[in-house]
Amino acid sequence: MHSRKMNSRKKLPLICALLLIFASFTSAQTRLPKIQFTDTTLENGLRVVIVPDNTAPVVAVSMTYNTGSRNEKQGRTGFAHLFEHMMFEGSANVGKGEHMLLVQNYGGTMNGTTNSDRTNYFEEMPRNQLDMALFLESDRMKALNITQANLDNQRNAVQEERRLRVDNQPYGKSGEALESMVYDAFPYHHSVIGSMEDLNAASIDDVKEFFRVYYAPNNAVLVLVGDLDTKEALGKVKKYFGDIPRQSAPPPVDMTESPHGKERRSTMEDTLARLPQIQAAYPGPVGNTQDFYTLQVLSNILSGGRSSRLYEHLVRQKQLAVNVFAGIQERRGPGLFRVVALPRPGVKPEDLEAAIYDEFEAVKKDGITPQELEKARVQLLRADIQGRSSALGLANRIGMLTVYFNDPGLINTAYEKIAAVTASQIQTAAQKYLVPENRAVVITTPHVSGSKPGL
Amino acid sequence: MQRKSILFILITLLSAALLSAQQPQGDDKPLPGKVQRLNRVPVSHEILKVKLPHPKEVTLPNGLTVLVLEQHKLPTVSCVLWIKSGALSDPADLPGLASFTADMLREGTAKRSSAQIASELDDLGATFTADAGFGSNLTTIQASGLSESVDKFLDLMSDIVLNAGFPSTELDRFKRTEKARLLQLRSNPGFLARERFSRAIYGGFPASIQATTNDAIQKVTPESLRGFHDKYYLPGNAILAFAGDITVPQATALATKYFGPWKNSGVAAITMAELPPPSAAHVYVVDRPGSVQSNILAGGLTVRRSDPDYLALSLANRILGGGSAARLFANLREDKGYTYGAYSRVSSDIYPGTLIANTEVRNAVTDGSLHELMYEFRRLRDEKVPSAELEEAKRSIISRFALSLQSPSEIMNAWLTVKYYGLPADYWDRYADEVAKIDADTIQRTAKKYIDLDHLQIVIVGDGKEVREAASKYGAVSVFDAEGKPMEVNPAGAVSGTK
Repeated sequence: MHSRKMNSRKKLPLICALLLIFASFTSAQTRLPKIQFTDTTLENGLRVVIVPDNTAPVVAVSMTYNTGSRNEKQGRTGFAHLFEHMMFEGSANVGKGEHMLLVQNYGGTMNGTTNSDRTNYFEEMPRNQLDMALFLESDRMKALNITQANLDNQRNAVQEERRLRVDNQPYGKSGEALESMVYDAFPYHHSVIGSMEDLNAASIDDVKEFFRVYYAPNNAVLVLVGDLDTKEALGKVKKYFGDIPRQSAPPPVDMTESPHGKERRSTMEDTLARLPQIQAAYPGPVGNTQDFYTLQVLSNILSGGRSSRLYEHLVRQKQLAVNVFAGIQERRGPGLFRVVALPRPGVKPEDLEAAIYDEFEAVKKDGITPQELEKARVQLLRADIQGRSSALGLANRIGMLTVYFNDPGLINTAYEKIAAVTASQIQTAAQKYLVPENRAVVITTPHVSGSKPGL
Repeated sequence: MQRKSILFILITLLSAALLSAQQPQGDDKPLPGKVQRLNRVPVSHEILKVKLPHPKEVTLPNGLTVLVLEQHKLPTVSCVLWIKSGALSDPADLPGLASFTADMLREGTAKRSSAQIASELDDLGATFTADAGFGSNLTTIQASGLSESVDKFLDLMSDIVLNAGFPSTELDRFKRTEKARLLQLRSNPGFLARERFSRAIYGGFPASIQATTNDAIQKVTPESLRGFHDKYYLPGNAILAFAGDITVPQATALATKYFGPWKNSGVAAITMAELPPPSAAHVYVVDRPGSVQSNILAGGLTVRRSDPDYLALSLANRILGGGSAARLFANLREDKGYTYGAYSRVSSDIYPGTLIANTEVRNAVTDGSLHELMYEFRRLRDEKVPSAELEEAKRSIISRFALSLQSPSEIMNAWLTVKYYGLPADYWDRYADEVAKIDADTIQRTAKKYIDLDHLQIVIVGDGKEVREAASKYGAVSVFDAEGKPMEVNPAGAVSGTK
C-alpha cells in the first residue's frame, strides 16, 4: 500500500526493516484517494489544472500567481500584499468592489491571500456561476483599474491590517524579528505585511510595473475543482483568458543564504504581553525535498497531538510550558523550522528553552520509536484527507504545489513521500538541521510602561 | 472513483435568461461609498435550490437521540455529542465549571490514564475535543477520524465521556495552565471588548459571564467536576450525531454498543433568571495602554433563536454588516479607509441574543468610525432598503446552501440547531421560501425594533488617553481597566448617540 515503498525497505538496516514489518500490523489500511486531473498550458502560457468532482453542486476557481513578498524590492516591503488588495478595486469591466458584491450576492465566497512565495485569488461558487468567476479573474488579469484614490484607500486598509494582526497584538512583532534574524537575504528577511514606512512609499508607478511584470498568464496557474465537465470548462477558460498576451519572464530571485556560524539571540519588551514567550527557529530545507518531508514527520512527532513529545514531556509531565509548538514550514526557498513556547508563570524562560533543546538532542542521540513513526504517518494521512474536504481547499493546494514545484501531481504523491520517511532519516535530519549554531532566538518579555495607565 | 452525488437537488429557474450579460439594474439609490457597478459580468440568475439532506434519527432505550448523515466522499467520520447543559448551568460561585468538566474529561478514566488516552487517539490519527463555551448551555464533544477506525475511537470517546475520573493530580496541572490562560486572555483586545459588552447587555444575567475567575480555578475540586458530570451528562440530555463515511445500521450498532449502557436519570430543565430591562445607552472605554487601535463593539439586545423575528433580523444583519458585500464594509473600509474590516452579527440562543457591529480602527479615526456606525444604524432604521439590495441579500443567503452540501458536519450542525432550539422539523426545507417572503417594510420594522438607539451599548477597547474624548461624543462614558475594574463610572447613562 501507499504508506511504504518496497524499494526503500531494502536500504534499511535489518533491525529497522523488522520493526517496520511489526509496525505494519497496526498501520492504517485507508488509502489516500487518487485525484484525477488534466493539466493543460494555453498558448499564452497560462497553466490550467482541472479536477472534476460532482459530489456537491459547487465549483472552485483558484488563480495562483508566481509572486509574493520574496519578489519585492528594497524599500517596498509589504507591496505584494498591498497589490493583492488592488486586485479587488476594479478592472476594465468590473467596478470597484463589484467583484466582492457579485460573488457573495450569488452565494459564493472569495478572497485573496499573499505569502512570501505566491499570491492567490479564489472563488467558491454554486456550479452555475463558473462563467462569473472566470470572467472576474480574466478581467483583472487583462486590464486592472489602477488609480491613486484606490491605492490610498487600500494602503489605509492594509495599514489597519498590520495594526490588527501585528502592532496591536501581544508578541505581534516577535515573529517579524525572528525571521529577520534567520534570513540574511532580502526575500525572506522581511515580513509579508511589510513596514508602515514602505507601505507609505508605494506609488502608482510601482503598482503598474508590478502588474505588468508578475500578473501575466505565463506567470500563473489556474485550478478548477468541482461539478464541471473538463472539456467544456477548458473551452470557457480559453474563451476568457486566451487573448491575454504573455509577458517576458519575471527576473529570478536570489534566495541563497550563508551559514550563520553561531547562534543569534535577541530580547524584546512588549507592552501588550502578560507572559514571556520564546520563539526560536532553524533554517530548514526547501520544500518538496526528502529532508523537508523528513522534518515534517519529525514536527508531528514533536508536537502533533497531546501524546507528542513536547506536549507530554514539557506541558504535562514537567509542567514547564502553557503551550509549545515546533514545526517546519514548507517554502520554495530555505524553510523555517520554528518553535514557539509560552512558559508557565513562575518558570524561567531559559529553563523551558533548555528543556526544548534537550528534546531535540534526544532525537539526535537516540532517534524515534517505530510507534511514533507510524502514528505520525496516520496523523498526516488524516490531515491530507481532511485537506480535501472542500473544492476550494483542494484547488488552492494544487495551485500552490504547481507554482512552487511545477508539479500538480504532488497532490497525490506528496503523501507517498511522507509515508516513506524512515526513523534513521529522521535522526539524521535532526542532526543536520537542529544545530545550535544555526539557531535564532527571540525572547519576549512583558513590559509595564512607566506611565501609569489612565487618562 | 467519484461517486455520483446522492444529494437531492432541485434546480429552479427564477429567470428565463441562463447566462445573461446583465444583472438586474438597481432601481433605487446606489450603494454607499465608492462601490461601483458596471453590470458587465456574466451571471446566471438560476438559483440552485438545494434541499439539505435529513439525517436518520434513532432513539436508544436509554433515551439517547442518535442522528446519522451519510456522505461517503472521504473515508472519515465525525461524531458529535451535544450535552444540553453548559456554562449557563454553572453555579454562581463557580463560573467555568462546565468548561472545566469538558476540558478534564480526557484526563483519565477508570480504564485509561490521561497519557494513554492521548496516545490511543493519536495512534488512530483521531481527534477529540470537548468544549462548553461561555454564554451557552451546550457542551460540545467531538471525536473524528478515519472511517476504518471508527469502532476504536468511539470506544475511546464513550470511555472518556461516560467514565471520566477527574483525577486530582491532573486537575492540579490543569489549574496551573488555566490560570496562565486566563492571564493571556486579558492581553487580547477582542476578548476585553466581548467581556465588557456582555456585562453592559446582560448585567447580572448568567450570559454576561465570558471567562472564569482565579477564584473559581482555585475552588474547583474533583468532586465539583464529578457533581456537574453526574447531574448533566445523561443520555436523556444528549444528542449523538454521526456524519460522514458511515451507514445508518453501522452507526446505530456503534451507538448501542458504546452509549447503550449509559444510565439515564432525570434532568431538571434549566431555569433562567429574568433578563434585566435594557440599560440606557452608554459608552464603555476599556483602557488598554499601548493600543494602536480601538476595538469597537456597538449593539443591543435582540431575540431568542426560536423567535419568529430571527429570520428577518438575520437578513437585516446581512444588509448591515454580514460580510464584505454589506454596508459597513463598503462604508468604513472601501470608502473611508478606516479599517481592515467592519462587520455585524446576530447571536441568538435559548435566551434573547444580540446584534453587534464590530470594527478595529486606528486611534485617530475612532470618532469618525463611531460616526459612520451610527450613520449606518440610522440608515437601516430610517430608510427603506432599496429593493435591488434586498433581493441580492436574500439571494446570497439562499444560494449559499449549495456550498454547505460539501460538508456533512455543517449539514449536521444545521439539523442539530433545529433540534436544540426546538425549531420545526422542516425548518431548513422551508427556509429559502421564508427568506424570499421578507419585504423591505419588514426589514425596516425589524431594524427599528432591534437597533434601539436609546439602549445602544458601545464598547471601545483602546488606549484610554487617546480615545476618551471621541467616546464622550457618543454618550455618557464609563472607563474600566483591562482587569475589568472600574476606573471611572458615570451613573447617568441615558444619552443616546448624539453626534
